[in-house]
Amino acid sequence: MNHQSRRKLLRLAGTLLLISSGLCANAQTSPAGRLLASNCFQCHGTNGKGPGFDTLAGKSASEIYQELIEFRSGKDGNGLMAKHSLGYTDAQLRQLSQWLSTQR
Amino acid sequence: MDRRKFILAGAASAVATAALADDRRTTSATPVVVPTGNTVKARVIVIGGGMAGTTVAKYLRLWGDSVEVTLIERMPTYTSNIMSSLVLTGQRTLSSLTYKYDALRNKYGVTTVFGDVVAVDPVNAKVTLADKTVLTADRIVMAPGITFDAVPGLGTSDKMPHAWTAGTQTTLLASQLGAMRAGGVAILTIPKTPYRCPPGPYERACLIADWLKVKKPGSKLIVLDANPDIVTEKDNFTNAFLGLHGNVIEYHNNAEVLSVDPAGMNLYTAGGGTFHGDVVNMIPRQRAGGLIAATGLNNATEGRFAGVNVLSYMSTTPGAGKVHIIGDSSATTQPKAGHIANQEAKVCADALSRILAGGSPDTAPVTNSACFSTITATQASWLHAVFQYDPVTTTMQSVPAATGASVGWNTDSFEDMSKWFGALMADSFA
Repeated sequence: MNHQSRRKLLRLAGTLLLISSGLCANAQTSPAGRLLASNCFQCHGTNGKGPGFDTLAGKSASEIYQELIEFRSGKDGNGLMAKHSLGYTDAQLRQLSQWLSTQR
Repeated sequence: MDRRKFILAGAASAVATAALADDRRTTSATPVVVPTGNTVKARVIVIGGGMAGTTVAKYLRLWGDSVEVTLIERMPTYTSNIMSSLVLTGQRTLSSLTYKYDALRNKYGVTTVFGDVVAVDPVNAKVTLADKTVLTADRIVMAPGITFDAVPGLGTSDKMPHAWTAGTQTTLLASQLGAMRAGGVAILTIPKTPYRCPPGPYERACLIADWLKVKKPGSKLIVLDANPDIVTEKDNFTNAFLGLHGNVIEYHNNAEVLSVDPAGMNLYTAGGGTFHGDVVNMIPRQRAGGLIAATGLNNATEGRFAGVNVLSYMSTTPGAGKVHIIGDSSATTQPKAGHIANQEAKVCADALSRILAGGSPDTAPVTNSACFSTITATQASWLHAVFQYDPVTTTMQSVPAATGASVGWNTDSFEDMSKWFGALMADSFA
């Protein structure tokens, strides 16, 4: 195996590890994005299932992420969610959207 | 109850019900979320059933791997401080702000013990109750909230209520305001930071000023602020104090109350001022709930609050690594308020779930603070912040772009306030 393909393989293994740790977290970790997403619960209900503002459970990850990006852009005005969405990195927004999409 | 009985109580919920069956302790018959019984892997005692304590108890049950949780609280019900200024103006009742612990017990399988904690052994994770019961756990989470400094001269007089813990104090101040003459003088004092709910005294001043205009025409509200300036949401409160309520509110900065004379209804401030009021809402300076100092955990903010590691809220007092402190009694860069206490509780619950399973806390926690301020009886503003963990300073740092307030106030925000409050209380208690 040459150096380059070996690096590729390592990268693939790393990605797989990331995916598996996100999907089935063992007892010593937590599902990826869950703690981040819990910042939503005060206003959108535990696990995004209400009561409160818009229910988040049942939406797809891309739907939630796109809404957050829209809030960030200021297109939806300068309300509280516009500010809130600016508090996270893009990677964090993706992670919490991903976790919320697992809630039905 | 000795340690053995406590362990037995966790061994089977049916046995627990029998062992603890008296009027002060109740356990749920069938916890639906996490099975207890002989699958219990760890035990956590939570002291204090306010916003932080209830949330950590609930989320330890939701997220923990078979963690048995016992919540110890003095009172059988909780009265929300959030929204309680609206009781002063007759827009809310205290009973509408009262919450029970039933859902924690029945839905999440938290064991509740109603009693007074008299001692915490932070090294051995032991808690002693007033009735001599000793409970032991793997970890203790303390959320005892705040207590007030004694006000020199006030003694036990009820003539200058703080109404900063909702309940009888709120009722007292409401009745004193109701009995005030039109054209009278009310005084509200703001303590030095850090205190519970930074915008709280300013929003209360606005709300009372709005109420006085209608109910007690010609009255004045003197605000004595111990701080050098309005401590938060400065634009909105400055505009409200000087503009909208300018004919009612008289604001004094650097006006710390040094002593009072309740018989004469006088307050004496730093700088030599004397202020006389018909009604006085005296909000004293604050420190962590008494149990923090009694346990020797008050190692921050000049001995007033408890230093913690914000990755897990573990005490920074040497030897007290089995104790975690969340909510208003902890010393962090975050505000002392219910919404963010709820998030601190989730960070703590997540960290404990990992620690108790042999892991370590999330290294990049995020928290948020959000609240609404009543500027009039029907209009509100909002205030918001997101905090990210900063590994360099090992503190939670507010994200500048995500921190700030609404531009002005309106009725939409007042309606959002009720929705927010309902959601927040449900996430903490239901």
